[in-house]
Amino acid sequence: MLTIDHASVTFKTDDGRTVHALDRVSLDIPDSGFVVALGASGCGKSTLLNAIAGFLPLSSGTIALNGRPVAEPGADRGVVFQKDTLLPWKNVIDNVALGLKFSGVSRAEQTRRCEDLLDVVGLSDFARAFPYELSGGMRQRVGIARALAADPDTLLMDEPFGALDSLTREQMQEFLVSVWARTGKRVFFITHSVEEALFLGTHVIVMSPRPGRIVARFDLDFVRRFAQTGDSRAIKTSAEFNSLREEIRALLHGAHELRSVTQ
Amino acid sequence: MSEISQPSTVVTALPEAGPKIVAMRGFGISGRPTLLISLATAIAIVCLWWAVTRLGVVPRLFLPTPQDVLTQFGAIARDGYAGASLGEHIYASLFRILTAAGFAIVVAIPVGLLMGLSRWAKGILDVPIEFYWPLPPLAYLPLMIIWLGIGETSKITLLILAMFAPICLSAQAGVKALPIERVNAARSLGASRLQLFFHIVLPTALPEILTGVRIALGVGWSTLVAAELIASNRGIGYMIMSASQFLATDVVFVGIALIAVCAFAFGAAVKLVEALLVPWKGRT
Repeated sequence: MLTIDHASVTFKTDDGRTVHALDRVSLDIPDSGFVVALGASGCGKSTLLNAIAGFLPLSSGTIALNGRPVAEPGADRGVVFQKDTLLPWKNVIDNVALGLKFSGVSRAEQTRRCEDLLDVVGLSDFARAFPYELSGGMRQRVGIARALAADPDTLLMDEPFGALDSLTREQMQEFLVSVWARTGKRVFFITHSVEEALFLGTHVIVMSPRPGRIVARFDLDFVRRFAQTGDSRAIKTSAEFNSLREEIRALLHGAHELRSVTQ
Repeated sequence: MSEISQPSTVVTALPEAGPKIVAMRGFGISGRPTLLISLATAIAIVCLWWAVTRLGVVPRLFLPTPQDVLTQFGAIARDGYAGASLGEHIYASLFRILTAAGFAIVVAIPVGLLMGLSRWAKGILDVPIEFYWPLPPLAYLPLMIIWLGIGETSKITLLILAMFAPICLSAQAGVKALPIERVNAARSLGASRLQLFFHIVLPTALPEILTGVRIALGVGWSTLVAAELIASNRGIGYMIMSASQFLATDVVFVGIALIAVCAFAFGAAVKLVEALLVPWKGRT
């Protein structure tokens, strides 16, 4: 269980203003849960992810993974970033093996495990290619493989498909579901696409900015249905999916308008 | 029946040559080759030089003909100059530059990286480095002689000082170019501080460092003549300074050409090292 308890983050901006990026947010993410955080920019979803990853200390509150408080970044929480952070001087398989290399796994074992992972992400033919030779979608798949290679407890994904074209994006969503269904990893995923959130999450939290807090929570089973049936169109065109999409869209819009009024 | 939806069946016969190949309009040089233009320019300059001397516009004492310079080069290569063979002169200069470059690289890279990583190192070392590096080497040459004598030590120290700053500054810039996401990604993969340094910081800074080394070698050659002003009897710089005192312009030209060739070879060598060590440079 990943437990976030009354987590608050307060920044000071360069011009001296105080920003409550996160205000007493509490959230539990069960093992093999897929939680999607949804909200406009500035709602604190990236702040929350950075805090879980250990990149950012909390002003108050606690985050604990399986009972142990999170203090520093660690290999138990794999991160996939919006902009791929592959190392340009390493080829695909060496990029994937980076975490294993850090933890001192033997070269032969690195290769064996990473070849399996490249097979999973469909990049076996590109093991010796360099990142600059790959497309955006392929780079993100390498990024996901790299995060999975260290066998983390939790995957943290910060708008990983935000920069992809819509067709590639849908393929990547389906690919991610298949990886999640296969590995049973806990996932915390950030997006500002309502459709993406609905399709991927077992739980969707809607966040609103200033101060950043969770305003609504939805428990969903679209992703489990897709993992069983493999028919994404049937799910995305279902009445249930569409009405929820409109409901969340109205919620986001409302949160936005509320903010405009108070300003 | 709508005429608009009717697909056109009129096909104009294509000429045999095939389609015209087009590419996006660029701006500036945008990667087009310049080698032929440069070669033509070089040939034009030599022709102009030859014509000017041939027509007697400038006295031969001030500007020797290309043939004079070639003949003088042959003579120096055969008989040496001022009591040392051409090889000894070149060796003396190469030895000084390479020794100084070795020292500068070994010291400046760690110092520059440290200054990029540590607030204290930056705060302290910025004072001496920012003070001395804009100074022309000729300005502190007298101090080198007074402190270190007229032997090899003062010459090599002068060269080290000249070459240190560009490498040190570029190593700092290399660390600055490190995106925080790259650091965070490595830390979330379990990198220790030492692993972070060797697997992330150092390779990220490497392209900048190599650029710094290339600049430093250029600075080294331009400081060489100053370094060899100090009571020497060997070296290409010495050859030039000594020849100028006898108005032997042809020897001066030979010396200048030798330095140009050596500096060009060094530049090409560093570019080769760059191609081997940082093939990803500029492609991320």
